[in-house]
Amino acid sequence: MLYLADTVNLTVVGKGIIMGFGMLGPAIGIGLIGAAYMNAVGRNPEVSKYLGQILVIIAIIELMALLVFASIFIIK
Amino acid sequence: MLNSLLNRFAVDSGPVVHITPGILTTFHGFVITNSMLYAWICSTLIVVVLIWVAHSITTRPKGGFIQIIEVGVEFITNLIDSSIGDRKKALKYAPMFLTFFFFIAFSNLLGLLPGVGEAFTLHGSPVFRAFTADLNGTLAAAVVAMFYVQYYAVRESGFRKHIRHYFNGSLKSPITILLGLFEILGEFIRVISLALRLFLNVAIGEIIIAVFAYLGKIAAPLTSLPFVFLELFVGVLQAYIFTMLIIMYLAVAIKHDHEEDTLDHESVPESIQLQEQHG
Repeated sequence: MLYLADTVNLTVVGKGIIMGFGMLGPAIGIGLIGAAYMNAVGRNPEVSKYLGQILVIIAIIELMALLVFASIFIIK
Repeated sequence: MLNSLLNRFAVDSGPVVHITPGILTTFHGFVITNSMLYAWICSTLIVVVLIWVAHSITTRPKGGFIQIIEVGVEFITNLIDSSIGDRKKALKYAPMFLTFFFFIAFSNLLGLLPGVGEAFTLHGSPVFRAFTADLNGTLAAAVVAMFYVQYYAVRESGFRKHIRHYFNGSLKSPITILLGLFEILGEFIRVISLALRLFLNVAIGEIIIAVFAYLGKIAAPLTSLPFVFLELFVGVLQAYIFTMLIIMYLAVAIKHDHEEDTLDHESVPESIQLQEQHG
């Protein structure tokens, strides 16, 4: 194990963990929004005109994913 | 053998990316960065193109570029109309929102042109850089946008009533004051979130294009092409989202006062007196 710790660059491991776990939340959130939108359109096809509002909500959640992506450049 | 083949098509070190803007020159102590230079070029181009469109517009649409601008103007005006619920006010506020929409959309799209970025460098920093890929630029845009929202809200409902709409309820209870202070803090958080959203979307899009162009090595145009198309979509979408959000903030700031007005006119004691007289 000691040998491993000497050769593996822990910064890369940290970046991987940040990307993996950080993207998990926004991915689930955007999936839920998409599912709810498709459900609503399935029940009532008239609400498909609210796609613009859905994109705005997705953009708000996407900010969290982008913050995760930006933070991997801060780690040196 | 596989390793040598892999080395030809992929590399192990990353590409050169800049997140901060580069300083080109200083003019009497006033720093000129590459994003500022490109913003000036872009805004000059936008002004010239939009004035040309305004002069060559006809009643019967001829199609082409003019109609795309027309569709954008109509779309944003309808968006304000449906959010505020008043066509007259929508036409009054449309110029400000349209300026933001077209400036951000054109800045994002012109930032994807070849030659913008790492192509030409001066003192180790690129000469051109998309204005929205710079946090200073997007923060300035967000501050100006929120300043205008506050200005319009104050002009619409008066300073006292505008401040009062943050404190919803009786002023004697401490919870109202605490919640009102949080609402005012929320206005500043909105500025930061608007700026960060636009900056991160555009800057990370550029980084992703750079990474995939670098990974492709020989086939760089092929590997980065899908992401360029994605960024074309994201650039217009982010302009729409920025405009949509500031329209929402303005609509919320104006609508609250309207509801309070209707409540004042139908005050409860009068109706009770009327009922007593009739009964």
